[in-house]
Amino acid sequence: MSLHLVLHALAVKKHADAPVLAEFTGLSQADVARLLGEAAGSGRVVAAQGKYVLAPLARLALDGHYAREYANVRANATFLQAYENFERINVQLKTLITDWQTIEVGGARVANDHSDASYDIRIVDRLGNLHERTDRILAQLVQGLPRLEYYRRKLTEALERAEDGHSEWVSDARLPSYHTLWFELHEDLLRILGRRRAE
Amino acid sequence: MGSATLPDGRWVISIAGHRIPDKELIGGKAWSIAKMGTLGLPVPPAFVVTTRACVAYLQTGAFPTGLVEEIAAGIAWLESATDRRFGSGPRPLLVSVRSGAPVSMPGMMDTILNLGVNDVTEQSLATDCSDDRFARDTHRRFIELYAAIVLKVDSAVLGNVEDLTSWREAIASAAGVPLPGNVVEQLHGAVRAVFESWNSRRARRYREHHGVPDHFGTAVVVQAMVFGNLDEQSGTGVLFTRNPVTGERSVFGEFLPKAQGEDVVSGRHTPLPLDEMRNHTPRAFAELMRAAQLLERENGDVQDIEFTVERGRLFLLQTRVAKRAPLAAVRIAAEMVREGIAEPDSAFAKLTCEQVRHVLSPRLPSGTADSAVILARGEGASYGIGCGVVVTDPDEAEMRAHGGEDVVLVRATTSPNDIHGMIAARAIVTEQGGSTSHAAVVGRALGRPVIVGCGAGNVMPLAGRTVTVDGGSGVVYADRLKLLVPAEDADTALADLLRWAELRSPVKVAAAPPPHAVLFDLDAVDDVVNPDSLRRFLSGIDLGSALHGRVLSSETAVAACVASGATLLIANPRLPVLLAAIRAVAERSAAHSKDV
Repeated sequence: MSLHLVLHALAVKKHADAPVLAEFTGLSQADVARLLGEAAGSGRVVAAQGKYVLAPLARLALDGHYAREYANVRANATFLQAYENFERINVQLKTLITDWQTIEVGGARVANDHSDASYDIRIVDRLGNLHERTDRILAQLVQGLPRLEYYRRKLTEALERAEDGHSEWVSDARLPSYHTLWFELHEDLLRILGRRRAE
Repeated sequence: MGSATLPDGRWVISIAGHRIPDKELIGGKAWSIAKMGTLGLPVPPAFVVTTRACVAYLQTGAFPTGLVEEIAAGIAWLESATDRRFGSGPRPLLVSVRSGAPVSMPGMMDTILNLGVNDVTEQSLATDCSDDRFARDTHRRFIELYAAIVLKVDSAVLGNVEDLTSWREAIASAAGVPLPGNVVEQLHGAVRAVFESWNSRRARRYREHHGVPDHFGTAVVVQAMVFGNLDEQSGTGVLFTRNPVTGERSVFGEFLPKAQGEDVVSGRHTPLPLDEMRNHTPRAFAELMRAAQLLERENGDVQDIEFTVERGRLFLLQTRVAKRAPLAAVRIAAEMVREGIAEPDSAFAKLTCEQVRHVLSPRLPSGTADSAVILARGEGASYGIGCGVVVTDPDEAEMRAHGGEDVVLVRATTSPNDIHGMIAARAIVTEQGGSTSHAAVVGRALGRPVIVGCGAGNVMPLAGRTVTVDGGSGVVYADRLKLLVPAEDADTALADLLRWAELRSPVKVAAAPPPHAVLFDLDAVDDVVNPDSLRRFLSGIDLGSALHGRVLSSETAVAACVASGATLLIANPRLPVLLAAIRAVAERSAAHSKDV
């Protein structure tokens, strides 16, 4: 399970160093370093400048193991119901992020240049509302799979940074922003349950 | 409507149109309603439960003595002003309830609409509007809002919304408290919910972080609702005082005859161009035109005005500064100065560097769609033009971009695993998904042109071809097309702005360095994106030197140059850099006056 978990973390995170992977998996840094060393030795991961990536073949092999690793979760009705609720709220999150990035002007959408603070405050406020509803769904998911607590904590951190006026924490793709974490969570759930992304 | 006034109470103040009470007492929203009233503009009557009442409530957890009576007096005043009755027919009074802090902040209570509708008044409303469905929708909307905002229950998942009685019971059992049927109790519940939202987690964090004192409290605005669906002489609409897309100096908007605001959202009616309103309600139209001009002059900027006409009478619901497309922003800024509505300084304060850069960014010459070969079409999801070789694998995209090639990343769909390839690409194109898909959202965050939804099998086969992607129109063209770079002095609006900006800028900005100038490339400075390291570098050079570099497209970098006393920056186009320099000085003096 542990090796699969580290490889899974790399599949979700793409590039990551040992401390990030330890936080994600809930394993100790020493364990993660040992597992990464093993995986690098057998060619399953490749190290580059202190960060790791999955080797292409390891990615394929990994995909074949989810059904076994997550058999319990896939049979857990509460977890599946919570996942369906997450998919519903996912649609709202995507609309919200689109409203954050673009504004409507005379019927056409143009890029939001973030010059109107009150517009941005309203969106961050909506994100706060959505977060509170998401958090209830996450609490149910965590009951089925405790490591998902990681997302609850990190999403709250990103939200609070955005609320403090650091607006890049809403959707900047280069930071563990709210949207970045959300997509990682979505990817994680899709992998766990063997589903495919709609778009 | 009647005009008897309500004497100011200890806790409640009417917004009656002849004066503007203190903003700290009534909050921002009531303040702008009062402001419109003093300009002689028609607004629906409203009263405010003041921040003073909120502070008293938060100290004891109960309404202060006299508040219930003063709210009742406020309602009686609204009844006489509108000739309607709260909680009974034949013409029921409905009100909206809003939070109104002196400073807007997250976590405050959302607006409750339609308060005053219950089983009895729903019937009267149906008769008054001759529309059973409208009355039922109004009732349902109220229950939904009250459940979500006051009782904190997501009513959409509870029971059958067609059967109001069982729906209300389901909401009450989920909330653990009943949903009152009595309109006065509902109003008190809503006022209490506004007061309590002052101490919501988000509002508290916001105040802590932005230095807003906790003891301000929030006001509650209670405003009579007006109806745009009563007869053929009624309607609702929105007006922009200038065209927000082109900037053209003519009013622009939409009008829905015999409809209420929510009908616009529900799609039950198709809006008409604003001009049609002239035929439906000519007097209200003429009054609206006068109001539009007055509000634009008074506020010194283009306004976005929401209005309703009830039985031929115009009511202004809200006015705010209009959002605008970049092209409109540039044109409006220049014309407002020429017309004497705004000073150059305030026009510059409203124009962002991003907007100017957007207008000056390279584009495809007009007529491209006729002459070039179109390979695919999709939905344009992020503005801009990008050219390169089509690559369908993100790792390959990253590798080839690293080797200096321009690449366009094409995928069936994108996922977080593709981000490194999206960062490396000049443009992103997908076969599936719409404007909220991952590719669209991430592409916009990265500032890359994006086209989504080109259709399965339509773009993946383009691998290896050189293409030009227009993220605005959603077209993929064959080959690398020639781009048109707009000149910043060709357009009169831009040329005027450039001239005014040069007079105000603390630093000279030239398109090319003068002969014999000592030139410094700021991009070569270590850790140049950090303003501190830029300042350190500047402290060690002759400030008469010419400074250039791509980093000058960042406003913070320009601000660091200005603060260090630089005298000559080299950039093309010049206007965005001049604007950033002017803004840097304005922000510094604002910060200075705050300290003093």
